[in-house]
Amino acid sequence: MAATVLIVDDHAGFRLSARRMLEADGFDVVGEAKDGREAIEATVRIRPEIVLLDVYLPDANGFDLATELSALPEPPAVVLTSSHDSEDFGDCLIASTARGFVPKGDLCGSAVAALVA
Amino acid sequence: MRATAYETSDAMALLRAEHSVARLLAEANELSTDYPDLLRGIGETLGWQVAAAWETDPDDPSRLIRVAFWHSPEIAAGPLEDLRACSAMPVGHGLPGRVWASGVPAWIVDVTIDPNFPRAEAARAAGLQSAFCFPILTDEGIAGALEFFTPEPRMPDDHLLATMANLGRQIGHFIERARAHTAMHASEARMRAILEAALDCVVTMDEHGCVVEFNPAAERTFGYVRDEIVGKEMAELIVPPRLRELHRRGLQRYLDGGEAVVLNRRIEITGMRADGVEFPVELAITRIPVEGAPMFTGYLRDITERKRAEQELRASRARIVEATDSERRRLERNLHDGAQQRLVALSLSLRLARTRMDEDPAAAADLLEESVAELAGATAELRELARGIHPAVLTDRGLDAALKAVAGRAPVPVEVTSTLTERLPAPVEAAVYFVVAEALTNVARYAEASSASVCIERGDSSVTVEVSDDGMGGADPSTGFGLRGLDDRVATLDGTLEVVSPSGEGTIVRAEIPCV
Repeated sequence: MAATVLIVDDHAGFRLSARRMLEADGFDVVGEAKDGREAIEATVRIRPEIVLLDVYLPDANGFDLATELSALPEPPAVVLTSSHDSEDFGDCLIASTARGFVPKGDLCGSAVAALVA
Repeated sequence: MRATAYETSDAMALLRAEHSVARLLAEANELSTDYPDLLRGIGETLGWQVAAAWETDPDDPSRLIRVAFWHSPEIAAGPLEDLRACSAMPVGHGLPGRVWASGVPAWIVDVTIDPNFPRAEAARAAGLQSAFCFPILTDEGIAGALEFFTPEPRMPDDHLLATMANLGRQIGHFIERARAHTAMHASEARMRAILEAALDCVVTMDEHGCVVEFNPAAERTFGYVRDEIVGKEMAELIVPPRLRELHRRGLQRYLDGGEAVVLNRRIEITGMRADGVEFPVELAITRIPVEGAPMFTGYLRDITERKRAEQELRASRARIVEATDSERRRLERNLHDGAQQRLVALSLSLRLARTRMDEDPAAAADLLEESVAELAGATAELRELARGIHPAVLTDRGLDAALKAVAGRAPVPVEVTSTLTERLPAPVEAAVYFVVAEALTNVARYAEASSASVCIERGDSSVTVEVSDDGMGGADPSTGFGLRGLDDRVATLDGTLEVVSPSGEGTIVRAEIPCV
């Protein structure tokens, strides 16, 4: 069965590109959210297995949000993404509850699969 | 034959002569006006009927000139004309000349037969026979000579000559004192003129801390009248109440032999005006190098203006740095949200197209089509961004071309007129460009205008730019960082920016920048 994914990003264009890429690679995109509040609400409602989460959201910091999501019952696997380099995040990435990080430009199904396996 | 008896009448006459001279000198101001009085005083008391006073010619120290002539009423004036006519004599010649050369009094029993008396003929015509002459002596040498004549033959009188020699020294002292007095007066007058005219406050204080001097600049700065405060304590007048004890203790410590902490260096402190208002002051104090009790002079300057200017400079620099930082943040955001996102989407689309190429070529072709459009969009955004940083057309083709370009992008018609005939210095062109760009941005955002105009005028020593629109006016230049940043940019070039925006009547943004 295809893994279910919730895509969280404030940029509609990226949500579309990411959806197409993941669906082409066999994932089942079950929802989209454009800010932190919507992300929590959608996760509770839809219970996706994976959440693809942009680090820079208008109302939230991706790392804090990842921690919040991991506190939910049946927490999803969180994969962080950004147009910025992972270098820019310093120790936040290592300390985070997220499974890992994929730069937006390198996003593809196998990269996500490798992180959540 | 010498006179050997010193007769009482002669002694009395000599005393009277001395008194007469002493009294005249005591009452005299300038010796030149009193020579006739001196000659008369001595001549009358001693019975010598004709007299003259001689001094060095100021233009020729080897010549003596006669500066005064007196004769007793007993002698007729007519026959004296020839004698009187001779009014100059070389040093060494004649009676005054020989006295000048020798420095001691001289006596001639019969001038008409004296070998060194050029005026012999004139004396004979005047009926004069005996004469004596004595020098007026100062520390610097002989200042003059007084000579006396009488028709009778008289023998040399040592007592008289001794008395006259004394008088010569007395008169000499008087002249010296008068000269020193004049020199001191002149020097004092010069110093006073300097103090009166000085821009800085010059204030002098004695060892009790009381005002001794207070120049006009100090009067103006502190609001006191000199004559009203001389003798009053300085601390009470110009030092703020909370600092007075410090001032007094400092003075006392110095007088007790302590170190001079505040002397001879520039200090910034607070002063106080007569009305109690405090203000910043730059101060330097020196001790006046005279003997006796110490006196101090303070040189003060009101630095309120300077402090205000420093403050404004710091504030303006901070604004400029903040504006630069803010601009960079804006750029970063624009790049991130705009072009960068598009390039990410492009990357995903192209990679997707690559994987779908074999199994679904039609889908791959659609993706490539999308990518082309996305790329064009990203390029356009980057171009716009670069224009915002610094428009290439301004550098390459100058102000007119750049302004027409920015006017062309405005949402309302903008008429551009310009009297420029040549390029301006780069900072001036940039300032004018950004004033117009920002003003037109505000027109697009707030003015609800139907048209606008941009007018550039080149004067002899400045360039003026005016952007006006027919919108709703009411613009407040203090809000909106855009106009504030322009203010700083224009002010850096010593220019001025003004905004006239009455409510309901449109807006005019006018900048004038000096430019030779």
